[in-house]
Amino acid sequence: MTAMHVEEFRIAQFGARLGTRLEGERARARLESLIASLPEEGQVRLCLDGLEVLSTSFADELVGKAYQRVVDGGFGDRTMVLDTPALELADGVDVKLAQRKLAMLCRHDGRWRLIGFHTPALAETLELVLTKRRTTARELADQLGLQMSACVNRVARLADLRLIRRRKIGMKGPQDIYELYSILEG
Amino acid sequence: MNRDMTQLTAGTIDIVVEQVLMRGAAHIDLRNVRQIDPYALLLLTLLVLEARERGIAARFDWPQAPSVRTWMRTMGFFMQIGAPTASPPPGTGDALQPIAEIGDEASIGRVVDGFHDRLAERYPLTESSRRTLTAILIELFQNIPHHSNATGRVADPHGLAAMQDDDEAMTVAIADKGIGLRGSLGLRPGYEGITDARALDAILRDGISRFADAGRGGELQRIIGVVRSWDGSFALRSGSAFLYFDERGGDIVDVPPFPGVQLAIRIPLRCFDEAPVDP
Repeated sequence: MTAMHVEEFRIAQFGARLGTRLEGERARARLESLIASLPEEGQVRLCLDGLEVLSTSFADELVGKAYQRVVDGGFGDRTMVLDTPALELADGVDVKLAQRKLAMLCRHDGRWRLIGFHTPALAETLELVLTKRRTTARELADQLGLQMSACVNRVARLADLRLIRRRKIGMKGPQDIYELYSILEG
Repeated sequence: MNRDMTQLTAGTIDIVVEQVLMRGAAHIDLRNVRQIDPYALLLLTLLVLEARERGIAARFDWPQAPSVRTWMRTMGFFMQIGAPTASPPPGTGDALQPIAEIGDEASIGRVVDGFHDRLAERYPLTESSRRTLTAILIELFQNIPHHSNATGRVADPHGLAAMQDDDEAMTVAIADKGIGLRGSLGLRPGYEGITDARALDAILRDGISRFADAGRGGELQRIIGVVRSWDGSFALRSGSAFLYFDERGGDIVDVPPFPGVQLAIRIPLRCFDEAPVDP
């Protein structure tokens, strides 16, 4: 893996109290243009620092819709994460991602957690990938005490949600073998 | 008529609506009214405008109590109904936030800032209260441009908002006379011909929106959750359905039909955590 290109996107550049869907839509044009300008596997780190209020409508229009495009593959392998000085500020993003059945990595107080739509099992598996940075489904299954099929399902879901990266490294019988990577910087 | 009416509130204003729009009463006597809440004030404003638009010639006798009359004036009521009176002396009337017009979406940030600043002048809001309240105001205000004229057939939905405190609570009211919840939700395939009560239920309890997009809807549902967690009260009227709840419970009841959506949330002052600032 090469060094990841990470760009910060400060939402407070649009104001301290945000806002309506219209404001969110205008801000999204800037965000999506930044995402598109990144190299493949680049990452946008959304930063809530400097914000007083982030309404759920603005959060959905800016973050929810842009992230939906990221997850749907509209920006290739680029990813997006959130950084917040207060978890309360990220409530709107959390609510709207959950409504869209999406989940995002969010950093608060130096610790990464999942917000949005997820299960404890998914969070547990993701945490292990983040800790190991590079692993395989086999390793994860062993460490989590899971059947391989259950682990593969979890890993596939995490990859679909753009919370981890996976690369095909071979085949075992009819099954593809993947190497799994954290999407966070080392 | 109405001589005995001393309170014009979310619980009593529909008596006046019925008399004017359904019974065609020629004379509405509100002279003995000694208390009006912001919800009733906004609905009364829209009722006068609606009656005029329908050609109903109702004569209103306004409250005689000087404090009530002055408050109505300071809130901008007479100006809104096109009957401006002399400005009250500065500092009288105790209006927390006079009636503000909610027009297009681009103007909402400015209106929210105005409400925020008025509230912050009187109450030392905590960071958390300020965030929550401001976010609620944004969501409620933008519902007017998003939904009140979604069909494009309403000449002017007359979006209004106002805010007032008393010894126990602060009330924010938002009202319009647009197409209402039924008119908005009815634009979504599968919800055509829905009743007012069912539309209210679908939006408030199920979080349904007229937009099919997964990220839309659920805002009013969440606001209700916040109001409940604060032991506040919530009133929402749309068409012929009215929902009211407070810490003791609530229900949806039938009311006389009126266009648009009228809504109020009442939040106990203790939720602001600190004592009011002496203005």
